Amino acid sequence: MSVAANSLPRDPKDGVVSSASRKWRPYLLTLPALILTIGILIPFIQGLMYSFQNRKASSPTWEWIGFRNYQRILTDDNFYHAVGVTSQFAIGATVVETVLGIAVALLLFRSTRLSGVFERFLILPLMIAPIIATIMWRLMMQPSVGILNYMLRPIGLGNIAWTDSPGMAMFSVIMIDVWIYTPFVALLVLAGLRSLPRAPFEAAAVEGAGWWYTFTHLTLPMLWPYILVAVIFRFMDSLKVFDIIWGLTQGGPGDALMAMQPTAYQAAIPNGRLSFGQTYMVILWVIVYITTRILISVLGKAQNRAAGV
Amino acid sequence: MASTTPSGNDRKFTFGGLVLDVFTVAYFAFALFPIIWIFLLSLKSQDQLFTTYFAFTPTLEPYKAVLGLSSATESVPFMRYFLNSLIASFGAVFISLLVGVPAAYAFARFKFRGSNDMLFTLLSFRFAPELMVIIPVYVIYQKLHLFDTHLGLIWVFQLITLPLIVWILRSYFQDLTPELEQSALLDGYTRTQAFIKVVLPLVKPGLAAAALLAFIFAWNSFIFPFILTGSNAQTVTVGALAFMGGAKPRYNLTAAASIISLIPPMVLALSIQRYLVRGLTFGAVKG
Amino acid sequence: MATLALTGIRKEYGKVIALQDLSLDIKDGEFFVLLGPSGAGKTTTLKVVAGLEEPTLGTVSINGRDMANVEPQARRVAMAFENYALYPQETVYDNISFPLRSKRYYRDPAEAKSLIDKVTITLGINHLLQRLPRELSGGQKQRVALARVLVRPADVLLLDEPLSHLDAKLRAAMRAELKSLGELQSTTSLYVTHDYLEALALGDRIAVLREGALVQVGTREDLWHRPIDTFVALAFGQPRINLISGAVTGGTFRHNGGDLAMALPNHDIADGTEIQIGLRPRDLVLGAQDGMPQINGRVWVIEPIGRQREVTVDIGGDTHVAVVTPDQDTAIDSLVTVSCPPSRVLVFDAATGKRIPARNEGWAPIADVPAGEVARG
Repeated sequence: MSVAANSLPRDPKDGVVSSASRKWRPYLLTLPALILTIGILIPFIQGLMYSFQNRKASSPTWEWIGFRNYQRILTDDNFYHAVGVTSQFAIGATVVETVLGIAVALLLFRSTRLSGVFERFLILPLMIAPIIATIMWRLMMQPSVGILNYMLRPIGLGNIAWTDSPGMAMFSVIMIDVWIYTPFVALLVLAGLRSLPRAPFEAAAVEGAGWWYTFTHLTLPMLWPYILVAVIFRFMDSLKVFDIIWGLTQGGPGDALMAMQPTAYQAAIPNGRLSFGQTYMVILWVIVYITTRILISVLGKAQNRAAGV
Repeated sequence: MASTTPSGNDRKFTFGGLVLDVFTVAYFAFALFPIIWIFLLSLKSQDQLFTTYFAFTPTLEPYKAVLGLSSATESVPFMRYFLNSLIASFGAVFISLLVGVPAAYAFARFKFRGSNDMLFTLLSFRFAPELMVIIPVYVIYQKLHLFDTHLGLIWVFQLITLPLIVWILRSYFQDLTPELEQSALLDGYTRTQAFIKVVLPLVKPGLAAAALLAFIFAWNSFIFPFILTGSNAQTVTVGALAFMGGAKPRYNLTAAASIISLIPPMVLALSIQRYLVRGLTFGAVKG
Repeated sequence: MATLALTGIRKEYGKVIALQDLSLDIKDGEFFVLLGPSGAGKTTTLKVVAGLEEPTLGTVSINGRDMANVEPQARRVAMAFENYALYPQETVYDNISFPLRSKRYYRDPAEAKSLIDKVTITLGINHLLQRLPRELSGGQKQRVALARVLVRPADVLLLDEPLSHLDAKLRAAMRAELKSLGELQSTTSLYVTHDYLEALALGDRIAVLREGALVQVGTREDLWHRPIDTFVALAFGQPRINLISGAVTGGTFRHNGGDLAMALPNHDIADGTEIQIGLRPRDLVLGAQDGMPQINGRVWVIEPIGRQREVTVDIGGDTHVAVVTPDQDTAIDSLVTVSCPPSRVLVFDAATGKRIPARNEGWAPIADVPAGEVARG
């Protein structure tokens, strides 16, 4: 086995790469992605500039108007209404999805035959386009062909007008959001549950701890990081809600569901006030950014606390 | 209730267990019933729509009507929307892969100036409100004649697909020990060969999952095609809404259109179930 | 066939200095061992040689040629990684043939097969060729990694702890096997280990590393009998060398307690110097012996280890160990005298840890490293 002995002739130029070109290698690999990213960043930055201009779809000319868009928006009741609707929706949906999602995860974690079958189907609502899911629910809520009122009739609730009042409309969009996204929370929490170490639970069982004590003192603290990832994703996405609201009532009844994105859309596209609508988005973007920062710092602390358990 | 502990798989019959089973069934009834009922609705003929709920003679007429296969002339070219969705989503994923795979690899393997900035710029796309970009894009596309084109849609879909693919793949690449590629280098292969022969086969499942998930999200997107397309490049998510409107809404056709639109993402999702958690959280949770 | 030279290598990872001013000259065909605890920079050294890591400063040259701008694949080095780095999706056969399928080291399939058969038969893994890496034990994986390195031509072999994951028995057997592999005898090899037994058994020369810096380079005799400092002395031998602190007065070592004395006839040391003397457990004999320095103590523990016994002796409040043959009779709590051949007494400066050489060291015939030491493990 003396293969090594037969030396191959060596080409002195073979495999020679200057150290400069070696240094550029990672940049070369990321260059196409960088170009694409810049391609997305350009409209992004342009969007920022729009908010300081008075662009309208109807007119080709525009000028810089400083903070006047912001001024106008921040003194406009519609803006505070949109903020109110958005936060009501985001908080409502996130809270329900989180609580329900954790419950579903715990139910599935029992690993009975039933839960095994169901887990397979858990993701289905999550994978349907939100707009399609909304159309489906709209059909179910429809007074003549819809199934919901038919099924509620036996308990005396046969005549619900699902989207006619502001309160019911908010209830309905949150319900649809819950239907779509509860599996997201459940999936994450389930992954968290499966990664928990067994030893502390066995110790707790040996010491005769009740399930509620175990749940609040062991399970929940150790699950915090997973729950918070779920909460961050859900809350951020709810702040940008558009599809469900637009699909269900186009923001109605009246302006009852005009959250931030629907308001901005209405202003910018149908009404043609591009800069005005864009300013809404810049404000929403800042809100999302700040909220992310806050939630991530909370997440970091919770993770540290969980690590200390 | 042993369900709060990892060791809790009691199979003994208990009253508590029964209650929990009832809750489980109740949630899944809530989760699955709409899909089942819409499917039933999509099999009803127009005259059965208002007369019955469950007992009826199923017919494929609504599907034929939606896809323009029946003699009844259909004003909504749903078949074309379906193809548009396919082209735009596939194109977007293809470009994201082409560009994102090398980038994700570089992010996972090299520390270099600006790498974190770029990663977080991509991540911020995930959380940015879509309209923030769409409004300027709407203006740009009018000028560049990209409005209502496949290419235009593919371009803005990068906002959805590129961050997803880069972040997920980076987490998969990080899971692989770099010594595998290093070993391949010393075994006489170039870096490109080492990547293709050693790394790629190992991340294939993750790569496929990331690509399919990106496809699903592009397919499911509504606001981009809603604003940036007209009759030419419109996708199913916008098209399905059309059956709801008009003077005489046809609910069975809406249901059929919904079912047709949800089948591709659902089938794909079931095939990548194992990888979903990591994908949905951008690699933050390793499921 | 090649020489390998490292000159002034420094490697920084951010603020951490992994290697500092490392220079080694390895001869053609030499089997060179790098020994050190984990974190000493052994693996980094191998990766720098292979070109997988770029040194911050310094040069690597193979056969006199500076490798600075040469890509790893063109350096003609083969490396067995500590974590094996077997390609999980390929069978054992395909793993081993992997280099032979590259353009650079290509062999036609028939030739490759005969090469692989030869290597795998020698390594005793011929029956595993169709398995996947995940179906192998740690020891088998390690041998596959070794086979992949041996099957292809290379100027320098880099072996990173190739025996570390084996159990003690297999490790001893493989050590003997490695030694007999023609490839390793004839190819310049750089071998990394934290196990001093491997270093002693295999190394033509051994370099001891600590915290990224070179402590001492030499043959096994150099390191065993003439360690440069207490770090090197402690790195070799199990049980570890006994170090007793004290000071010299009138050519005699006195233990801190004062009640203990040992003559140091071979050393010239100024009065009052604080020193440590090092006595290897296997060099010690129970009972007073003619012409040998000796110290007194009380037996603390007696532990049988195979045919020998490990006797722990309390000397002036510290415990020290002697390994003795069973014919040397003793009992717990009995007072004993421990003797040591004068040539085996190592003396270290307590302040610097550096060894103080004996007066006659230049000519003293130094016996081989005891066979008992190498056979253990």
